[in-house]
Amino acid sequence: MRRLDELTPGEEARVRAVQAPVRLLRRLFALGIRPGARVRLLRRAPLGDPLEVRVGESLVALRRQEAREVVLEDEG
Amino acid sequence: MSCPRCQGHPVKEPPRARRIALLGNPNTGKTTLINALAGTHLQVGNWPGTTVERLEARERTPEGERVYVDLPGAYSLLFSTPEEAIATQALLGDPPDVLLVVLDAGNLERNLPLLLEATELGLPMVVALNLMDEARAKGYVLCPKALEAELGVPVVPVVASRGEGLAELRSALDRAERPRPAVVYPPAIERALAAIEAELEGPGRRARAALLLAGEKVPAPETARRAAEAARAELAELGINPYLELTGARFARARDLFKRVLKGHNPRPTLTDRIDRFVLHPVLGPALFLLGMLFVFRFTFLFSGPWVAFIGRVQEVLSGWTWGLGLPPLLASFVSGALIAGVGTVLSFAPVLFFLYLAMGFLETSGFLARSAFIADRLMHAVGLPGRAFIPMILGFGCNVPAIYATRTLESFGDRLKTALAIPFMACSARLPVFALFAAVFFPDRAALVVFGLYLTGLALGLLTAALVGRIAKTEPASGVMELPPYRWPPLRVLLAQARVRTMDFVRGASGPILLAMVLIWALLHLPPGPLEESLFARFSRAFSPLFAPLGFSDWRLVGALVPGFIAKEVVVGTLGVSFLGAEPTPALGLLAGVQDLAAAFLTALKETLTALLALVGLPQLLPPAEASAPGLAAALGRATDARGALGYLVFVLLYTPCVATLVALRQELGRRWAAFSVAYQLSVAYLMSLLVTRILR
Repeated sequence: MRRLDELTPGEEARVRAVQAPVRLLRRLFALGIRPGARVRLLRRAPLGDPLEVRVGESLVALRRQEAREVVLEDEG
Repeated sequence: MSCPRCQGHPVKEPPRARRIALLGNPNTGKTTLINALAGTHLQVGNWPGTTVERLEARERTPEGERVYVDLPGAYSLLFSTPEEAIATQALLGDPPDVLLVVLDAGNLERNLPLLLEATELGLPMVVALNLMDEARAKGYVLCPKALEAELGVPVVPVVASRGEGLAELRSALDRAERPRPAVVYPPAIERALAAIEAELEGPGRRARAALLLAGEKVPAPETARRAAEAARAELAELGINPYLELTGARFARARDLFKRVLKGHNPRPTLTDRIDRFVLHPVLGPALFLLGMLFVFRFTFLFSGPWVAFIGRVQEVLSGWTWGLGLPPLLASFVSGALIAGVGTVLSFAPVLFFLYLAMGFLETSGFLARSAFIADRLMHAVGLPGRAFIPMILGFGCNVPAIYATRTLESFGDRLKTALAIPFMACSARLPVFALFAAVFFPDRAALVVFGLYLTGLALGLLTAALVGRIAKTEPASGVMELPPYRWPPLRVLLAQARVRTMDFVRGASGPILLAMVLIWALLHLPPGPLEESLFARFSRAFSPLFAPLGFSDWRLVGALVPGFIAKEVVVGTLGVSFLGAEPTPALGLLAGVQDLAAAFLTALKETLTALLALVGLPQLLPPAEASAPGLAAALGRATDARGALGYLVFVLLYTPCVATLVALRQELGRRWAAFSVAYQLSVAYLMSLLVTRILR
């Protein structure tokens, strides 16, 4: 089961589930990170954390720990 | 909130004023739109009981007055941040006459769920499809009419930053319509909503019911609340999560709507992608970041400096005129030393705040602030602070007052608390004259080292404070999830208007306390009339000086100078001069000489502002040229204490309550109790650290 923090920069995947506490869940949903959405890891911050993710037209920053709560679909 | 000035500035509304609330995701240009519509009548305040800024603007039209209210940016009425909660509460508790939903046309699909949610409020509505220029640049071809047909409300494409589409928007606001039902939920949810709606009244029933069903605590009659609880329990038994179902249906409908509005798309790499390749580059990024921080710092203080000096000169001229009036000396001294000096002190913060607000406004709306938070996040996280806390901390080295106001860009109260309590430990530039004077007298060979050591001590204690407060107050760390908005060139008009109203807000809030402190200290120094040695100030200082003996300095004049230091730390040096060497009389000034003086000072300020443009890219100056302060003072200080006492004094000056203006800022941002805590905490830390240093040196 892959998680969002395990993507390599430039890699894209589809979100299967978000297993976060309610506030974080709502925040991620609001920014478009929700089941079915395609997310692409753009880069990590210079110190390795947080991560920058593209979802649709939005660029979203989230910490590694928060990205771990986002479970991805297994692909190919 | 304890402070009546934080309650916004309610104005009695004439009968025909129509209230138009702007709702939209963050970074959709709501503020720019308000400015474009009615920018000349902007008012700023706070949402009741919070420090979240509330912008309002009035516009007179032939049909009557309009009041535009900027709601905090929200992704959903089902809130996850304090800002979103305010937007929801404002819409439910005090519904506007018209709801103007602002959408980012270049990120439409993500903006639509909020619009769909807003239709359930049942308010007359207009949609502004903003940032059409960006949408075009991204290769989108959109058909606003399709959205209009689906929702049954006017949809107007606009480019707020360039004023395009405003006339159409204004006329659309006169024919706002209640939207038709836009989202159909799964049957189980629809049944639950109907059951709750039956217990509610008014046009916003459906929105209220949906919020209650999702478990949100919104004002509602007890019966509705119970209906919601019952429905939630029933759904839970079926394994249905109402939040997921509600949002799922809205997202699906948003997708469907988006497809109907979208007439074509040729994706193109955006400017943002290209800029981010440099700004967020692993090596180049941090370098640019540090350069950017330096730039903001220098912009704020280099441009404000000449105007602060100008205000000081105006103060001197006014004092000179006062002495020239032939008033009784005590009265003249009161007018010049308390009233004019008090007003001058308040106003001298205005240029600093104005330029800081300009810089912060630029960073925030341009998209750079979010990037700097992204880069600094890991570093700041080490002491439990988010990346956004970096800028306020750095600004603290210039002046604590704007730094504390800059904590507004932090998301949670916990983060604002930690940062704002840490900031006063950053050695602001007003403390430098004291450092420079004592270091030059007592440590002539190691002056720079001593001053540098003081700066580091302050920084370390500030970071420690942030970490400790986080531990003790157990504030929930704010989530690191944030949007990195597209880079945009902020409209200068908006930046200027915002900086102006925010600065005025400070001047209004700070005038009273600063003037009061000034009058009190004047009274201490000048009453009863006679030599300083017999003043209240001297008696008071003598009474307290034994308390400071363990810190290595007990001369009453040294102890006493700490009191006016509460007005502003640089006053410490002046007070030392007066109490050791006696006061120099203020020379009386003739009318004409004063006018000439003012004109010359104004020209100097203007010239220095222009040269600041050049200095902005020059190298920073670390230490001010050692001021050739009265050699008499240096000698007198040398007799009053020794090196150990001097260091104890410096540590105390570094750490004790910075000044009354900082206190005003703390009170406005954190409330009265935390401001009081800060004073007590800093006095204790200053005393203990000073004690520690003098013990080590023994």
